[in-house]
Parts: sequence; C-alpha cells; structure tokens
Amino acid sequence: MSENLIELNNVCKEFVTAKHYPGFKGAVKGLFSKETVTKTAVDDISFAIQEGEMVGYIGSNGAGKSTTIKMMSGILTPTSGSCVVNGLEPYRERKKNARNIGVVFGQRTQLWWDLPLGETYTVLKEIYEVSKNDFEERMAFFNDVLNLQEFMHSTVRTLSLGQRMRADLAAALLHNPKVLYLDEPTIGLDVVVKDRIRQAIREINQNYNTTVILTTHDLNDIEELCQRIIIIDAGKKIYDATLDQLKCDYGDSCSVLFEWKQNLDSNQEDMLQTLGGQLVLHKQEKGIQVCFSKKECSVAEVIAKIMGIAEVKDVQIKETELTDIVKRIYQGSEGKTV
Amino acid sequence: MKKYLRIYWPFAANQIKSNFVYKGRFYLFILRKFLGMFIYYYLWMAIYASASSGELGGFSRSEMILYVFMSYTISDMVMVGISSEIGYDVTDGSVAMSLTKPIDYRTRLVFKSLGVMIYRAVVPTLFIWIGLEIYKVCKLGMPVTNPMTMTATLLSVLFSFFIYIFFDYCFGMLAFVTTYIFGMNIIKNATLNFLTGRLIPISFFPTALQKIFSFLPFTAMTYVPVMIYLGKYSGMQVLEQLGKQALWVVVLYLFGSFLWKKIERRIVILGG
Repeated sequence: MSENLIELNNVCKEFVTAKHYPGFKGAVKGLFSKETVTKTAVDDISFAIQEGEMVGYIGSNGAGKSTTIKMMSGILTPTSGSCVVNGLEPYRERKKNARNIGVVFGQRTQLWWDLPLGETYTVLKEIYEVSKNDFEERMAFFNDVLNLQEFMHSTVRTLSLGQRMRADLAAALLHNPKVLYLDEPTIGLDVVVKDRIRQAIREINQNYNTTVILTTHDLNDIEELCQRIIIIDAGKKIYDATLDQLKCDYGDSCSVLFEWKQNLDSNQEDMLQTLGGQLVLHKQEKGIQVCFSKKECSVAEVIAKIMGIAEVKDVQIKETELTDIVKRIYQGSEGKTV
Repeated sequence: MKKYLRIYWPFAANQIKSNFVYKGRFYLFILRKFLGMFIYYYLWMAIYASASSGELGGFSRSEMILYVFMSYTISDMVMVGISSEIGYDVTDGSVAMSLTKPIDYRTRLVFKSLGVMIYRAVVPTLFIWIGLEIYKVCKLGMPVTNPMTMTATLLSVLFSFFIYIFFDYCFGMLAFVTTYIFGMNIIKNATLNFLTGRLIPISFFPTALQKIFSFLPFTAMTYVPVMIYLGKYSGMQVLEQLGKQALWVVVLYLFGSFLWKKIERRIVILGG
C-alpha cells in the first residue's frame, strides 16, 4: 500500500464574525456592539488520500467543502487538527506547498484579466520555473484536449465562461502539480464544455498519476471521474467510501416498469396480488411498476415472474441514481442532527 | 537575484501593458493629471501675486513653480497605492488565488506597483520634467540642474517609492482585519496630502510640527526628493536625508513582515 499523499487529522475550522442585528436599528446597534458569533465551518474531519486517487468531495451548500480545500491549499489555517499534503503542512509552508498543487476555484479566475490569455501562461511558466520543453509539450496537450488556441490571443475579459474555465484548468495544470484541487470546476457550463473538462482531468490523472480532489454539485462529474466519494454535511464527515461501495450500500433499490399488451382480466389481477412479499406494486394506467431491493431478488427473476402472468409490451428498468442516493444521505444526516 | 527578477518582473511588465489596454483611460488619465497640476499652479500664483513679499515659507515664486510641478509628479509616481488593491483582494476574496501560488504576496504587489511607477515615470512625468527644465532655464533664468543633484533626486525618489509602498502595505493589512478599507483609504490619502508636503511645503508648517514630522516617514515620501531637486539641502544634508530614507525603507519593510506573519494565520476568504 502506497503512502498517503494527503492526510487530515481531526481538522476543525472556526470563523469568528461580528454579530449583526436585523433592521436599521440593528445596523446601528451593530456598530457599537462587540459581540461575535463563532461558526464552525469544518468540524473534526479526518481522511487520507493516496497518490493518484480521484476523490469526489461533496456536500450541500455551506457544508464546508471549500473551506477544507482552502486549508489543504494553504490559504486558511485550521483552528485545530493537522493537515499534511505531500509531507508539508500547507499553511506553514505555503509557498513550498504551492509548487505541488494546482487549484481551480470555479467562481474565480487566476487569469490576467486585462491581457491576452497567452500572457498568463508565460507568467505562470516563470513563476513555476517550467522548462521550455515542458511548457511547449503541455501547451500542445492543452490545445489538444481543451481547444485553447481559438482564443489564445483574446483578452481574458472577453472570454466566455466556458472558455475561461478551460483556460483556468490549463493554468492550474501547467506546472504538472501532484495534487489538483477543483472547487466546482463545471459550475454553469454547457454539456460539451463539461465533457472536455472531464476528459482533460481524466487524461491528466492517467498520464501523470495526478491526485484529484473535486467538489461539485453535478454528480455526473463524480460518476464519470471519481473512484471514491467523501460526503460532508454541516462540517462533519458523514460518508467516505468508494463509489461502488456507495451504490452497494444505498443503491440497492430498483424499479421495473411494465407496460401490458392488453388490459388484464380479473384472474391475472388476482395472480399479481399473490406476488406481494418483497415486491411492492404500483398500478399504473396501462401497466405496473414493481419496486424491490436487489439484495432480495434479481431483475431477471422479477421480469420472469411478471411475464409469467401476462403478455408484456415494454419493460423499463430504473436503477437508483447517484443523485437519489446522495439526497438520501443528506436527508438522513439532517434527520440525525435534528 | 536573476531568478527572482524573472519570476516577479512579469507582474511589473504586465501592469505596464495593462495601462495601455484601455485607450480612453490612457488619455483621460493624462488629462486629469495636467488639470490637477495647473489648478495647483494657478492657486499658488494667485497667492504669490497677492503676497507682500516675494518669498513665502522660504520659497521664491520661481522655486514654488518648480515645487508645484515636482511634488505633483513625484507623489503621482511614488504613491502607487497597494492598500486599495489589498482591499479589493480581500473584499472579493481573490486573495485566495494569489495565495495558491508559490510567490510572495508583498513582492508581487511591489512589482506590480513598480510597473505602474515606471509607466508613470514616462507617461507623463519624464516629459513634464524635460519641459520644466527648459522652462526653468529659459523663462526663470535659473541654471541647469547639475547631474549630481539629479542623481540624488532620482535615488531619493526611488527610496520614496519603497517607503510609500511598504507603508501602504502595512496600512493594507488593516483590510484583513476589517475586511473593508475604502473609507480609511480616503482618510489616509487626505492626511498624506498634508504630511508628505504635496499640498503645502512642509516649511510652511509651524516649527514644532516640522520637528514632529521629521520623526515620521511621511516627509520622506515627497518633500525630501523635491527639496533635493531644488537644491535646498547642502551636500551633507542630502546624504543625511538619503540615509534617513533608507532607514525608513528597512523599518517599514520589517514592520510589514511582522504584520503579515500575525495576519496570515487569521485570513478569511470572503465570497465562498
């Protein structure tokens, strides 16, 4: 088993802000009060990530995802606990750590706003001391996957969101970092651009064994890219396992939709009723929906049973989608904390 | 050193390039500067016209003309605010992007300002200085500035630049504490207009105040280089003033490092 590249142990982060009061009177009162509110954004999180892993880090809005990423990239200092990335404590050795990481924050850009896009890359080349050969090789790769050349000479402020995002990803990868943090990299992008970005991330991971940590609200990103998933809620880690494990744990429910060739007679109706047991039946206008747990019986069995009763025109199998699973986990944790 | 320059120089160079990006801004900027200078010039001329003696605060009318243009151009060149930039960085949270790079935040800001300074040194300062030198010799009948004085002035301007920028960096650290700095910046600028001698030469202030000012870094930001240029200091005094400026550069640099160490730990990134 290889060494852990990233290790977080009991990391907490608290923010202290001045207390604000509602209304105009409150605003004035706020000027004179010294009361503060402490908000725990990250609460006792521990996990370890190995080199080359692609991990989806998800949670509802405000769960503390970005805060964790910022601690791992050395911008924020944890209130307590330890965080080690590639043998360094990011916030103690920020500049050294910065050489090992690439960061994309979906809502910010690191590109040079007023200048043609190409300028940004030349600056980054100097900052990270990328050799000429490496630079050319990587730029060629980015051009290839992300199609940058069509807007290489446009000023950054004139780029569309999709173009900017692609350019930003290339900027984060130019120095071939060991770890890539992506904080909502596909926010607000169309399907084609999303696809390109995923493609680039996948190739980088395969070619350079780059470790990728990805936060997103688009679970398709996770499904296409990550092998592992960490879910946090209200600053606490609530789930950490491989994607397959997650599906096994939560994705066992399955439903099959049958459409009858012709209406059932009363005899067939009775036979359906006797099925019962592990199968939950929902009658529909022209057919029936059968819900069951995959742990108890297989799809083939269910289909065979129903086809034995009546002639079927059409069958649709619906597995639980990741979205539903995650929704269930979020809701489950809310139920626990309330 | 060479490596250092290779990493940080692009920040200065790009700042110079950015200044040419917006054409309208380019011309309006120059126009605004000339407007400011001439308002200031006519104001002083009116004061001298109505004064009973030809000398005010130790300045003859001709010297005051030089003072007006020199102090205006020097403070314009030297006072490239970084605290407002820190303020923006903090308010919209983009400081996060700077901190994920293997570069020093302050050095980056200093080089950016250096870019602006170089830009302003050429557009339009250099041309004003040449014009002023011609005016000085042809119209005011004063001798050509000797190379020694010019060198000392330029050196002093460079020190002024670093004093101001390191001071402004310390001031900008407030942005991390208060998360908003715009108002304080306006107060700071208004105060500095007085304390640096940009608005009124320091010699117009009461002696007691002048004594206090000599212990503060502000006169070293504009007043000192202008006085060197005007030849108001003797050779030894020039060296003394330059030494004092160098000392302020070091002190403010160290103080800035100290503040950053304190503040780095409690940085908050706004806006998600």
